[in-house]
Amino acid sequence: MLLKNTYNEFVKILAKPRSYLGIGALTLLIAVILFAMKADGASFISFVTSSFEQTLSFNGNILNGNLIAFIILQMLIIHIPLLVALVTGDLISGEAAMGTVRMLASKPISRSSIVLSKFIAGAVYTLILTIWLGFLALIVAKWIFGTGDLIVLNSDGLVILKEQDIMWRYGLSFLVAFLSLLTISTLSICLSAFADNSIGPIVSTMAIIILFTIIGSLDVSVFDKIKPFLFTTHMASWRSFFENPIPTSKIMQSVVILLAHNVILVLIAIVKFNKKDITS
Amino acid sequence: MKKILLFSTFIFLGFMSKAQDANEILAQVVAKINGVTDYSVDANIKADIPLIKILPVNATIYFKQKDKFRVVSKGIAILPKQGFTDMNSFLAKKGAYMVVESGTKTIGEIKTTLLTVIPTGENSEFILAKLWIDTKRSLILKSQITTRSSGTVNVDYTYTDHVEFGLPSKLVFTVDVKKFKLPKSVAADLHDTDDKKKDTKKDEKSGTIVIKLTNYKVNKGVSDSVFKEKK
Repeated sequence: MLLKNTYNEFVKILAKPRSYLGIGALTLLIAVILFAMKADGASFISFVTSSFEQTLSFNGNILNGNLIAFIILQMLIIHIPLLVALVTGDLISGEAAMGTVRMLASKPISRSSIVLSKFIAGAVYTLILTIWLGFLALIVAKWIFGTGDLIVLNSDGLVILKEQDIMWRYGLSFLVAFLSLLTISTLSICLSAFADNSIGPIVSTMAIIILFTIIGSLDVSVFDKIKPFLFTTHMASWRSFFENPIPTSKIMQSVVILLAHNVILVLIAIVKFNKKDITS
Repeated sequence: MKKILLFSTFIFLGFMSKAQDANEILAQVVAKINGVTDYSVDANIKADIPLIKILPVNATIYFKQKDKFRVVSKGIAILPKQGFTDMNSFLAKKGAYMVVESGTKTIGEIKTTLLTVIPTGENSEFILAKLWIDTKRSLILKSQITTRSSGTVNVDYTYTDHVEFGLPSKLVFTVDVKKFKLPKSVAADLHDTDDKKKDTKKDEKSGTIVIKLTNYKVNKGVSDSVFKEKK
């Protein structure tokens, strides 16, 4: 029953035009970045390497598909949450707004299963978005720019990774990026359980992301204790797969915190939806 | 007065004879270098530079007189900007510099003569070059090149197979890294923690690049198309 309901929920997502808006916007954004890099990628690279290039010369194909994919991921991981929340933030509250929530609750399925099926459908949509991002960022960028070693600028310097040592890193980083986006999806579904209109949970999700990001970037000691527990602190942990050596314990810590957020938010949504007095 | 004049003449003549010796020593080195019209060589490049983490890279280096130079590698290879072939090109320009003998030094078991090369042009990229030369074989064993843009680069040369052409089998570059800075906005990392900030490598002032050169093909002809960048 859960699977059938999940299928129904996914069909509902597919039926909404805004679901394609996210994929379309993502495609357009990546096309713009690819065009910009093709037109003037060299100056973008020199911004990073200029201080080294007075003494050293970098030989080889630096501006390759692997680097472009990294740049795309870095640029878009901040904006994709909006595209996710746009669809998932409306999954429960949208039913209330349209007046279909009572009919949904009268189905021979528990309210917990309804929330779970919406969560799974939202996760599938997020996965599709992440795969599409990966396809455009990696496959298309490699097709246009070719392949080569990846030069990454981290806080402790430049890391140059061998071409044959990159794909597995991308695979794992996309998994962590998916987990980050899944947290956004779960947060918006959770907020959706509290609202009766579509726009509220979407805006609230973005407001929370902005608030947490600002807290995370403020170098004030009063926030030091809460920063490690904010999900926004761990949304960039995909980047850690491009460090050498890989900080495995830090990545694991991020994964655990993101998973904990997902579980807690789903539980809150289930409790709220179970207690909800459905009158519409 | 006569004594002072005599002493000055003696000093001047001494200096001139030393400069003449120095010119002869350098001319022999340059003649050896100029005997190479082109070459290609396989290189293994190992860079140990603060703020840069890179594994050793294999590349092929092509050179053609006067100053055509290209490194072809499958991956990204880091080389010092100064001190590879540009020094040889500079030394080949007679009249662009003056040379002074500045003493002797034993490197390994080889007695070398230190030559100081000072550019005569005001706008020269080179400020000063010190060359430790094995006068018996007319080979540069060590150099210290100071340039306007790159600071000081020290190069240690090791020779095995191509001594007759003055082509080294190993080069160890020690480069200045004081000017290296990371653009903060790009380097911003949410995993940036205190232990990373305390990284001692950031305080290092020099880095080394070791280039092992094998399989020289000297004066066999290198096509000009090799030096054209593929776009």
